[in-house]
Amino acid sequence: MTDINLNDLLRGYRSNPFEERDFMTPHSGVITFLVKEGQVVNGPGGKWSHKPGTALYMLERERNIRKVTATCGGEVAKIMYELEGGFVEAGVRVLSVRHKLAKDEIIDRILTQVLYIFCAPERARYFLAPEIASKLEKQPQASLFVRPGDEVIIMSLMKRDTIINYDGASGVIYKTYFEPGNLVEQEAPLLGICPPNKLPYVQKVIHRINNEWED
Amino acid sequence: MGKERVLIANRGEIAIRIMDACKELGLDYVVVYTPEDEASLHAALAKEDDVGGLKRAFRIASYKDPNEIFSVADQSDCTAIHPGYGFFAENFRFARRAQMRSRPLVFIGPRWEVIKDLGSKINTKRVARSLNIPVIPGSDGPIYNEIEAESLAEELFFVQKEQGLRHPSVLVKASAGGGGMGIEEVFHLDAFRRVYRRIQNYAKRQFGDDGVLIEQCLRDYQHIEVQLLCSRHGEVIHFGTRNCTIQSAGRQKRVEVAPGFDPAVVEYPFDARAVLDRMIAYSIRLARHVGYDSVGTWEWVVTRDGSPYLLEVNTRIQVENGISARIARIGGKAGYPSLIKEQIRAAMGEKLGYRQEDISFEGTSIELRIVAEDTRRGFRPWCGVITRFEFPDAAWAQVYSHVPRDRSYNIPTEYDPNLALAIIWGQDTDEAKTRTLEFLNGVAIEGKDAQGEAVIHNLAYLSGRIEDIFKF
Repeated sequence: MTDINLNDLLRGYRSNPFEERDFMTPHSGVITFLVKEGQVVNGPGGKWSHKPGTALYMLERERNIRKVTATCGGEVAKIMYELEGGFVEAGVRVLSVRHKLAKDEIIDRILTQVLYIFCAPERARYFLAPEIASKLEKQPQASLFVRPGDEVIIMSLMKRDTIINYDGASGVIYKTYFEPGNLVEQEAPLLGICPPNKLPYVQKVIHRINNEWED
Repeated sequence: MGKERVLIANRGEIAIRIMDACKELGLDYVVVYTPEDEASLHAALAKEDDVGGLKRAFRIASYKDPNEIFSVADQSDCTAIHPGYGFFAENFRFARRAQMRSRPLVFIGPRWEVIKDLGSKINTKRVARSLNIPVIPGSDGPIYNEIEAESLAEELFFVQKEQGLRHPSVLVKASAGGGGMGIEEVFHLDAFRRVYRRIQNYAKRQFGDDGVLIEQCLRDYQHIEVQLLCSRHGEVIHFGTRNCTIQSAGRQKRVEVAPGFDPAVVEYPFDARAVLDRMIAYSIRLARHVGYDSVGTWEWVVTRDGSPYLLEVNTRIQVENGISARIARIGGKAGYPSLIKEQIRAAMGEKLGYRQEDISFEGTSIELRIVAEDTRRGFRPWCGVITRFEFPDAAWAQVYSHVPRDRSYNIPTEYDPNLALAIIWGQDTDEAKTRTLEFLNGVAIEGKDAQGEAVIHNLAYLSGRIEDIFKF
């Protein structure tokens, strides 16, 4: 966990707050695009992100139609029109969206440099240890304290579960960076841990970004 | 049968073996592969066969998504599905869907009703008991309640103590699991709840069902399999037995040998041939009772006193089917049979065309599972890149592998780090053992993990266990 030059970081994000995000087919099926290049699309909305984003394309498989919606807002940058109406395999890039980073995303990115990041030791699927998961359900995230040696994560690799013990500085789990059961690349962040004495600093960083960044 | 096109809903070496079987039967085929398996030989070989405008390899999101499988089957005009082993091979809902959908597909395996009867360990136990077939003491239904589970475990510990066992233990198993996954042994009742919760949690995530089985843990036993082949015309034939006792710490088989016992090499405290015959007779009794109509494996344990107990029935082609085929001869036919081909023929409704009296057995066959794993650290899987993989070329050895030998291969972290299956044959057990060791000496595996450390494999472990085959 290090102190950072927040001015430099914010300047960098201000000069280019965009990110091009590719959308891949989640499974196979016959594709029909529902948007055009240049169209502005919305990401999930609502208090709990319960409202789906703009429908980007449809995949029909086994007579079931699935509308794939935007997971982020932005402008549709490139569409693979040549795929329209045909059968596409899984994992094919079908369009991309130029997305402007929101305040929360900037905070998340900057916090990865402020918090102690507990990274994925292997490319695998990860789950929170049952005790941690049940506590996090009941308590606010920032109040769960972990110490070195605590069982925090289950790594599911090659169909085998391995319990991962926490080996960083003691602190509270400030941020969980993965969706349980999803594939996480090696060295990708799993948990952001904040030692108690650094909590005021982290809150100060968040406060400054909240004040200085405008969506 | 020539017009059939088979979708191979599996990966790795079994996909390649099914491809070969289809080609030999004159059938067309299509394979699926996930993004993680892009470099697997099964996908590469199928892409090489992409001729005449027919695409034979389709990338899908997951081997576990039935919609992906059926969608590709329709897109590629397949008429049949071979599930291989694992994934959907023992899923009766999948088999039923294949048969009952608006565009039906031949499911290459037993009828779904049979899979439903025998695909569940619990139901198998119930049916077996009703036919006076011996089964291991324990729960005869999935347990979802911790208190009920603990109470049964307590009873099993008590019974074992009454039997005078020095180190009683019980097995906690995911009821929907298989292939040795989701099983733990508990040595003290105090530790039971913790293990129970762990297995329940694992079972829920891996199999979508948190039902758990509790069984007495038998010690000092041999794990024997009976290989059956049945047709849709009531023919029931056995292809002898196999011994699969040598397993990893996680109960994954590592060395298998056919036949199951060899009294010429090991002195057994019981009549080995009679015990094998009893297991075969019991297996056939159960197969006839449920109207079995495909290849299947009846798994048994035999304790030191020669008592066999039925463990489960695998209603699919088994990984180690090759060793049973390797020692079998069908009267009037050249060479040895392929059980995968026989399975496909049976599913297409053909008669087997031979009887039990036509089958004879010759020699001993040993299968080695070559795996990238650390056998000294709990068989921990190794991840990394294989840069060189070579094995001896001998008439008595067959190797099945999905690892390409002309380029580097990154082992996918989503699946087991199996590298190859080697099937060795000898005129007798001694010759098979000698050849196996000779084969292992000639295998070369090189590679590195992300930290630059050299590949870890199980070759030395396999060599060290060859002397142990058939022994209690």
